[in-house]
Amino acid sequence: MKVLLIEDEPQLSQDISEYLYKEKFLCEVVPNFEDAHEKINLYQYDCVIVDIGLPDGNGLDIIRSLKKNGSETGIIIISAKNSLDDKITGLEIGADDYLTKPFHLSELNARIKSIIRRRSFGGANEIIFNEIRILPEQMEAMVNGQSLGLTKKEYDLLIFFISNKERVLTREAIAEHLWGDQMDMADSFDFIYTHIKNIRKKIIDKGGEDYIHTIYGMGYKFTEIPG
Amino acid sequence: MKLLSRISRSYLIISLVVFIFSGLIFYRLLSHIFQKQIDDTLKVEQLLVEQTINYSDSVPDFRLVFGHMIDVTILNTPLKKHGVIHDTLMYDSDLGEFASFRHLFAENSSIRNKGYTINIYKPLIETENLIAEILIAVALVFISLMITLAIANYFIARRVWIPFYRILAKLGHYQIDKAQPLQLSKTRIHEFNLLNDALEKMSAKISQDYQNLKEFNENASHELQTPLSIIKSKLELLIQKENLDENQYRLISNIYEATNRISRLNQGLLLISKIDNNQFLQTEDIDLQKIINTIIDHFSDLIEHREIRLSTKFISPVMLKMNHSLAETFFSNLISNAMKHNINQGFIEIAVDQNIFKITNSGQILKTNPAQLFERFRKSDSNQDSVGLGLSIVQRIANLYKFEISYLHREGVHEMNVNFGRQTLQN
Repeated sequence: MKVLLIEDEPQLSQDISEYLYKEKFLCEVVPNFEDAHEKINLYQYDCVIVDIGLPDGNGLDIIRSLKKNGSETGIIIISAKNSLDDKITGLEIGADDYLTKPFHLSELNARIKSIIRRRSFGGANEIIFNEIRILPEQMEAMVNGQSLGLTKKEYDLLIFFISNKERVLTREAIAEHLWGDQMDMADSFDFIYTHIKNIRKKIIDKGGEDYIHTIYGMGYKFTEIPG
Repeated sequence: MKLLSRISRSYLIISLVVFIFSGLIFYRLLSHIFQKQIDDTLKVEQLLVEQTINYSDSVPDFRLVFGHMIDVTILNTPLKKHGVIHDTLMYDSDLGEFASFRHLFAENSSIRNKGYTINIYKPLIETENLIAEILIAVALVFISLMITLAIANYFIARRVWIPFYRILAKLGHYQIDKAQPLQLSKTRIHEFNLLNDALEKMSAKISQDYQNLKEFNENASHELQTPLSIIKSKLELLIQKENLDENQYRLISNIYEATNRISRLNQGLLLISKIDNNQFLQTEDIDLQKIINTIIDHFSDLIEHREIRLSTKFISPVMLKMNHSLAETFFSNLISNAMKHNINQGFIEIAVDQNIFKITNSGQILKTNPAQLFERFRKSDSNQDSVGLGLSIVQRIANLYKFEISYLHREGVHEMNVNFGRQTLQN
């Protein structure tokens, strides 16, 4: 999987590419508009992550030229400006998603995977993790062929975990993923715990393994090795 | 006290004092003049009497000559020349009472060595009356002058101060958050022009500083975003490291939480400065019921989790002309506020009717002053996790759209009322 990251802040692009590298993404980084333009005209990418506030141009123009070339690539805008106008314009001209800085790397990762999934198989593909099978089209998760009957939030959480497997997910990242950034409630953390307890129980009830590990004081981790 | 009446009063007091003093002096002067005149007459009469006695030893009836009391006595022994004039009180038979008289008493000897005494009395009543009449006339002139001056002063001052009141009215309407500079019209009075200039310069400076401050706030929050992003992403990478022990996790977790707090705080401040900088110009018609239902749906699992009973009552449909993301922030802050400060198994009631949105919730008894509830960073100490900007943002948005917010608290029941006023679209 090839990802192009257009970001002018070197520290940030370094972190993003390091995080994505572990996901087996091949991440190319360009720091400005001109280089980005050159890259998108020469190569094909599965996903382009573009910061719209570039020093030498507007990232939205890169999306426009991608679309003009008939590119099928997935596009995620990252912006320091939480501007609804930019978001609307970006999505209108063909971006798939919009993230406001500062964001969690796990969130970006989950969004990239979701886009790539939708793009590559028209969204009809399944996510398989050992005995867990997820059908994104039906928004359904199954273990050993039986439906888990997850709620919407539980389903979202499971996908978030599987997209970031072998990663520590902080409670904050989970809370933001589930309720957005307007959430600043301490008790949402208890609630995450309740959700996770329910997911565990539902998976174990259907004969699955418990892959969710609690990381003390930090969050949770979904691993190949059952805990 | 008005400046005008203050000045008039001072003038009046000063004039009165001057009038009393000058009146006294004037009275003394007049008395002196009249006395001197009477004394001169008395001396002339004395001279006439003496001359008459010198020529003839007989004493004619001087009363027939001078028409007032005169008494001459001739003695056989000579007398030394001597004379005094003084005031005296005597019974006046014409008036039938005691009255003041000027009395000349003289002793002398005639050429024939016969002594004589002269007593001449002149009534003072006439001169006293004259002085009184003069003083009354002067007082009348003074009073009419004062009245004329006071009236003239009143009208002149009223005219002269017109530009001043105009400046005041303009200052009263001046709003610092409107970008328009203060513009005052020229007057013909130098001092007011000076005042105008000073005020215009000052307001331009204030306006400039205010703009700079607003821009600074926005730029500062904006510039903080990048380093915050870096810290957050570095921390996220750090926690992915294998073989961290529990202590290290705990430390990182604390840093991470603090960073998230700064990050949320910064986003809140950025939002406030954006509202203040009027960056949410695009408005659309917002269906209140729809937006509230979306927000409730978003929080529904949390509401259920805390076993909070939520009821909504949409009595009449309400449409608002608002910026969409501000509308979302506004209602979601109010609703999440009602959740945040609620108790488990509590309740939230939302009612929408015409131009009123009312949210009532159970909760702890309020410890802080309700008036400070909407201030920045004001929070009840129980909730450490909150950054304390939610209601401040609500207030900013309300100010922007001229909504009126009122808050009521009664024994653990909190009620927030939003009156949309004229922002409601009639449909």
